[in-house]
Amino acid sequence: MGLIKGPMSLGAEPGSADDRNVDGVPAFQPPAIVVERLRKHYGRLRAVDDVSFQVRRGEIYALLGPNGAGKTTTVEILEGHRKRTSGSVRVLGFDPGTGGRRFRERIGIVLQSGGVDAELTVREMVALYASFYARPRDVAATIEQVGLASKQRDRVRTLSGGQLRRLDLALALVGDPELLFLDEPTTGFDPNARRDAWEMIAGLRHSGTTILLTSHYLDEVQRLADRVGVMSHGRLVEESTPDALGGRDLAGTVISFRLPAPLTAAELPAGPWDVPEHPECDITMHTDEPTRVLLTLTRWAVHHGVELEGLTVVRPSLEDAYLRITDEAGAGGRSGR
Amino acid sequence: MAAVAADVARRSRPGPLLALGQVRYQLLLVLRSPLGFFITLVIPLLLLISLNVIIPPTASSVPGGLPYVQFLTPAVSAFCLLNACYVTTVTSMVLAREEGILKRLRGTPLPAWTYLGGRSGSALLTSLFSVGIIIGTAVLFFHVTIYWRAMGYFAASAGLGMVCFFLLGVAVTMAVPKSDAALTIAYGTMLPLAFISDVFFPSVHAPHWLYNLASAFPVAPVARAMEASFKPTTHAWPMPTTGLLVMLGWSAAAAAVIALGFRWEPGPIQWRARR
Repeated sequence: MGLIKGPMSLGAEPGSADDRNVDGVPAFQPPAIVVERLRKHYGRLRAVDDVSFQVRRGEIYALLGPNGAGKTTTVEILEGHRKRTSGSVRVLGFDPGTGGRRFRERIGIVLQSGGVDAELTVREMVALYASFYARPRDVAATIEQVGLASKQRDRVRTLSGGQLRRLDLALALVGDPELLFLDEPTTGFDPNARRDAWEMIAGLRHSGTTILLTSHYLDEVQRLADRVGVMSHGRLVEESTPDALGGRDLAGTVISFRLPAPLTAAELPAGPWDVPEHPECDITMHTDEPTRVLLTLTRWAVHHGVELEGLTVVRPSLEDAYLRITDEAGAGGRSGR
Repeated sequence: MAAVAADVARRSRPGPLLALGQVRYQLLLVLRSPLGFFITLVIPLLLLISLNVIIPPTASSVPGGLPYVQFLTPAVSAFCLLNACYVTTVTSMVLAREEGILKRLRGTPLPAWTYLGGRSGSALLTSLFSVGIIIGTAVLFFHVTIYWRAMGYFAASAGLGMVCFFLLGVAVTMAVPKSDAALTIAYGTMLPLAFISDVFFPSVHAPHWLYNLASAFPVAPVARAMEASFKPTTHAWPMPTTGLLVMLGWSAAAAAVIALGFRWEPGPIQWRARR
């Protein structure tokens, strides 16, 4: 008998069978996280100000923003660590503030730092946390998964910064969570360890785990996130996919190159591009038709026997879009306060 | 049916089982912490040995003409309880809070009561172990006499002390801002009380007001009852009703403070009603 049920309202019994899959095939799934008009005020400070967003089941949602933007406060409200001033929050169908053990059985949290006993061994720590959960993952397999198998008998105080972050991840994973909160999970990792962690996180998404990620590494967000929310001054100022953030999917392409002296931009053929008014030999063009422009330019260069040194063709990066959004929001926030 | 079975599998583990796991975890931490080991075992043992060596038997001023060690053994046992249940609780819990260990635990299904239960269980076992070492050393090397008929009183007084000292320790953690202040505050509050509460020397020559002042705090009733249990003349429950009420009153007050203001993260106290 099939178990696919109709849509579960936000008020449905948390953790009921309605929101489960059949043989791993998603039925209709209500969002894992629903935040509506969330506010958190500390006296006159509006740490979180009228924030609304949803995170779908099985997706990786990244929350970005400069320090003090309200990301951590928002995430800590979702984790049940802080109480909200007003607004509605449902996480896996629970109100995190009152969900209690049934709620915490189903989430995993990677904190920004700390939270481990230095005098226990890696295996003891992971086994201890596994003992808290009704349906834990295998301890040895979890340690292996985060790449600490060779360190499992070592005391936590002997681990490096990167190894400690791996242990953090193991402690969050060992309860086999449906929803994982990753607060800057790869800070302190070397490039290889970061790549490994990315693969692991991508693997978790593949197995259906929903992930709420905060990170300062935009390449990490670009690589992992399905959707991105940008916070600034307590507000959610933009929400999109990483590729479309700030309209960068529609933004012009930037073509740069260097002309050999004594050539200047005035000698270039006419075309659909904007060139700075007084270009020297370093040329930067903005265009919405990169293919045509490149063809025109390269044809002209070959015809005149000119090498376009340092030729690059780039679209605005996630970092460009993020910086522009937070700068604009910052200016707006300052003028509005 | 599979989905229902999966939901059933998510039912949390029984609290008592989790509390037992916490006892084991806390014991491991105490055993592996040089400070914890030093506070709970080494200091009381050094105190028992050094005071016995320094004070000659002829200089005894213990009421009833008993040897000083007959007073000192239960007195140092009371000191063991203070160290294991109060000082260790204050220092280790403040450190755990500051290092984010409590916050991390708060994000798991571990109920708060099992954490505190585990800590209290660990403090109880550590106390029993250190008291056992003290009494064993005193019997073997200093020929202390055990009056078995009064050992029930000794155990009951110690039990009251352990509960009260543990609750006070947890309550005091809320007023300690940082871990580097924890040891100072713990000993700064405990040692003066211990000195006026018959823990190091019998208060036979203490002024009456000082004796009464000490009686209003939770150390003296326990220490005096434990010391009385090592006297040959004790045939009845040695703690006066006022002493019992003092212990229960301090315990209840500490429990109320914990219930209203316990915090899992560093920062100022946030009373429940104000959150």
